[in-house]
Amino acid sequence: MTKKLQLLALALLAAPQLFAQSSKSAETDSIPNDHEDMDFTMTESQLGEDDDMTNDVIQVGSSSNVYTSNINYTWSAARFKFRALDNKYNDVYINGMQVNNAENGRFQFSNIGGINDATRNRDAVNPFEDNTFSMSSLGGSANYDFRAGNMSAGQKITLSGCNRNYTLRAMYSYGSGWTKKGWAVFGTIGYRWANMNTAYVDGTFYNSLSYFLAIQKKWGEKHMLNLATWANPTERAQQGASTDEAYWLANDRQYNPYWGYQEGKKRASRIINDFAPSVLLTWDFKIKDNIKMVTSAFFKYQKYSSSKLNYNGTNPAPDYWKSFPSYYYDVWDTGTGDKDYDGWLDAYNYWTSGTAARQIKFDNLYFANTQLNKSGSDAIYYIQNRHNDQMTLGLSSNFNWNIDQTSKLSAGIQLNTNKGYHYQTMNDLLGGEFFHNVNTYAIGTYADTDPRVQYDLNHPNQRIYVGDRFGYDYDINVQKFNAYAQYSKDKGISHSFITGRIGGTRMWRDGHMRNGLFADNSYGKSGVGGFLDGGFKMGSTLNLSKGHSVTMGVGMEAKAPHAKDAFINPEMCNDFVINLRNQKLVSAELEYAINNSWLRLNLNGYFYHSYHGTEWQCYFDDNEASFTYVSMSNITKNAYGVELGAKFKITSSIDIVALGTYSDNKYVGETDVNYMLSNKGTVEYSRCYMDGVREGGTPLAAASLALNYRIKGWFLNLTGNYYDRIYLSATPVTRLESVYELWQKNNYRDAYIDNNGRYRCDNVNQARGDGGFMLDASIGKQFRVAKRPLSVNLQLCNITNNRGITTGGYEQSRSNYSVAANGTISGRTYNFEKNPKKYYAQGFNFMLNVSYRF
Amino acid sequence: MKKFNILFALVMGAVSFTSCMDEDWRTPENIIDNPPYGNNDIAVYSDETAQQYNQKVITIAQLKAQYASVILGNKCEEIKDDVQLQVVINGNDQGGNIYKQLSVQDATGGIIVGINQTDQFAFMPTNQKILINLKGAYIGGYGNMAQIGTLYNGGIGRMESNDWESRMRLLTQAESADSVSAVADTIDFDGSIPKEQLCGRIVRLKDVTISGDGTQTLAPDDGSVPLTSNCANRKITGAKGSTDIVLRTSTFSDFASRAIPSGEVTIYGVCTSYRNTFQILMRTNSDMIEQ
Repeated sequence: MTKKLQLLALALLAAPQLFAQSSKSAETDSIPNDHEDMDFTMTESQLGEDDDMTNDVIQVGSSSNVYTSNINYTWSAARFKFRALDNKYNDVYINGMQVNNAENGRFQFSNIGGINDATRNRDAVNPFEDNTFSMSSLGGSANYDFRAGNMSAGQKITLSGCNRNYTLRAMYSYGSGWTKKGWAVFGTIGYRWANMNTAYVDGTFYNSLSYFLAIQKKWGEKHMLNLATWANPTERAQQGASTDEAYWLANDRQYNPYWGYQEGKKRASRIINDFAPSVLLTWDFKIKDNIKMVTSAFFKYQKYSSSKLNYNGTNPAPDYWKSFPSYYYDVWDTGTGDKDYDGWLDAYNYWTSGTAARQIKFDNLYFANTQLNKSGSDAIYYIQNRHNDQMTLGLSSNFNWNIDQTSKLSAGIQLNTNKGYHYQTMNDLLGGEFFHNVNTYAIGTYADTDPRVQYDLNHPNQRIYVGDRFGYDYDINVQKFNAYAQYSKDKGISHSFITGRIGGTRMWRDGHMRNGLFADNSYGKSGVGGFLDGGFKMGSTLNLSKGHSVTMGVGMEAKAPHAKDAFINPEMCNDFVINLRNQKLVSAELEYAINNSWLRLNLNGYFYHSYHGTEWQCYFDDNEASFTYVSMSNITKNAYGVELGAKFKITSSIDIVALGTYSDNKYVGETDVNYMLSNKGTVEYSRCYMDGVREGGTPLAAASLALNYRIKGWFLNLTGNYYDRIYLSATPVTRLESVYELWQKNNYRDAYIDNNGRYRCDNVNQARGDGGFMLDASIGKQFRVAKRPLSVNLQLCNITNNRGITTGGYEQSRSNYSVAANGTISGRTYNFEKNPKKYYAQGFNFMLNVSYRF
Repeated sequence: MKKFNILFALVMGAVSFTSCMDEDWRTPENIIDNPPYGNNDIAVYSDETAQQYNQKVITIAQLKAQYASVILGNKCEEIKDDVQLQVVINGNDQGGNIYKQLSVQDATGGIIVGINQTDQFAFMPTNQKILINLKGAYIGGYGNMAQIGTLYNGGIGRMESNDWESRMRLLTQAESADSVSAVADTIDFDGSIPKEQLCGRIVRLKDVTISGDGTQTLAPDDGSVPLTSNCANRKITGAKGSTDIVLRTSTFSDFASRAIPSGEVTIYGVCTSYRNTFQILMRTNSDMIEQ
């Protein structure tokens, strides 16, 4: 009897979550099975694949909310970021183990790409949703279930063809289900492929194998052990952003400057190689029927490298600014530049003379290097590999206690240690014989015999050959501890929860080269930075009558900075950035929901405020002929917005889904800036006027209307999307007080001194992208072949072929003028501020999916 | 379980069979015989006894003599004759000191070519033999020194790089060996030799000193030395036959920050002149040897 009661209690307690999940399964049951897959097939090839790209996507997907359960899939083509948040604010767990990158806080979704059948079990929660595994992050959290016993049994083959990042995909999976002896195994293997001729973007390719294997054993009712291992060795070529002028000249907004011809064959200059084998061991311990413990141990070793064509002379990039027509003629009529029409026309004719003219000329680079061999000189063109390898070890334990019918307690701890190996190797000397490991940027500031120009004083003037490490070589160590506890309680019409979190982070750098500019603080271990952080979240839902409910939540958190932002110039020295401290986050949300037989509606308003933030970036400063490492600290940001999701059930076979958001995510006030030049090694202070600058690379306003029609095994979908208010990532270069001082002294751009004696300029506007309308459709049908289900699904995206929607980009960090030694500036003809680099959404594209279960 | 074993074998097989997509690239073979720089269609005349050779190939001394009045008058004139120089490169922008200029010489003398292109050294290393078709190019004088280029504001200026590439040919090893007579011998500087014979050549200055107070560098951009076109002139004493001679160094050169040696040095460099002043341009840091 008591057992039955306990079961009943459990069933009741699980009801909110079951409801949350059942609404999704109800949706998917009535349509061909492949639709459940779409969320991931649609976006996986675009998700956070590039460590160095700004437009990483964030995956939310709590099915309890119409808005969050639909936006990932619906708005992926515009690279919509949930609440304009960086991916680092979205915590991803697998079997209760948090797996975000310890150095930058981001989760690399491509690490679990191509194993779609294994990633289907996911418990995603919104920022103010109580759950069984975490204090949900600012951008929500998700917990993947990688247990073999929970995977679907049987075999499945999926074949896909599309004209996107990859062209073909094949996947096979097998699940045993539980055997009588208490074993379950599940495995899946997939391959995604495109070569230089088939990929949507010219000069890219995609070569990715994925595998996932899990085996689980049950001992009685109490204990289960699951061992899962997965990886996807991937080799793929990147697409580079370019300017509108380049897109105009190439007559193609997918023009890709990162490839060229070598002996008539296409060659990519930027290739990512990524292989991150992961192993996760999970012990499920049912202490009592209402008390469970999940303990996981995680190990990952990642080899990640990205290649780049580099040079010690003229930039060989085909879209180098000096090659553009507007380098010769002041097309913006700013009055400062040349009006050399012949030069403009020559450049125009050259750009438009054929594909080869606007791509990299590898033959020339080889020739230059072989010429240099004659005089025993260093190669001036070479392909380098930047490596970000990583070894991660984690241990987590998560405890869930359903105290009684109305209250629940969960708590968990996690320990992580992470070592990032950052170094650069010579990938290809392009016909050259060698290269010297010296800082060519510092030569000139110092004589080339000066020890300060050495990248590694322990091996001065070292000759670098293919495979050798050069430039920089250091490790970043991060150790983390995190614990959380959560209590939820139902009382009357209310459901309330409170969560608290406390954590500790230690980080240090370990240099393997003694940099000449930092002879005493680059080799060996740095000091250890330690941060204690934590916070709380609480929320409450009031279930009013007739399916109406109101939910509110508030949270405060101190978040330790990430190692990525913690060092002023990790490629050269051990110094931490100045003023490094915990970022403070205050957030609040209010939701109104309706749930009845014909309507599910969520209307959310949110606000968050963050301060004491730190961001780090580096760019090439041509006035100094040097890389500049910029640390912005004391960053304050405000973000707010409204979100609407509504699903109208018109008939049993027709429903309409409406989604919309209008939001903002802005810097507030000024930030402190400490920057270092790679040719001097000193740190300078300035202020950066970032006030009003918005988060780039995402539409801040988006709306869509979808019609779904299901009948007799057919599924039809038509979705119209509209995107607007897209900004590009802002550069600090045109917002620094030290720059405004230069401007003011040169009477440039109306820069002035304000009442506080500070240099200011008011007419710098953030670069924007273009929004627009996009129409998508999907048609699916489930057949039965040999009594087994065969699903066919065709997705048609951007049917109206709107190629003008910006998906991301950035302002160039170069100036519209050159600076003479005496501090006078002279305007350039080419205008960097009017030529931001942009990415555009793909035009019409499709994907055909066929899957068969047997 | 059997299926799992098959799957496992499949995974292992696939991992070991999946190959790299990026090829193992090799140096293109045809760039040795057909350099992807310059104009490979220009005919090479190497038989000095042939009539065609004597009609087409002239020496730098002949060229300078023909346009002596233009050069000394700091004027500029288009070369109308279809003639060719066979020269060897003796100075380029490798050390960042020579800017958008190339220095070439043959057995009779040297001359400067102005080309609107950076990193010329990458395609035109020193000791590389080249042909230059002169027809349509301009010759003129700047500070009474000869220079090949194009018309710019009534004087001699730099020609565009595509113009340059269309009128020059890089000679391959084989072609150079075929008795093209250009040589790049270094001569000892002697100010009593006529300027037109010295300028454009590589000279050696033995046992000279460079003026400085012992703390200065060759070309600082801190205002401690007056600059002309971003270059600092440091007086050279002890040069044979001339007291009006300077070491000219760009603030952008790789050796701008080199401390001026206090003792005697030996300098190799391109001999140039501005009016009556000899200006010696080092090419790389190793052009100055301290004793």
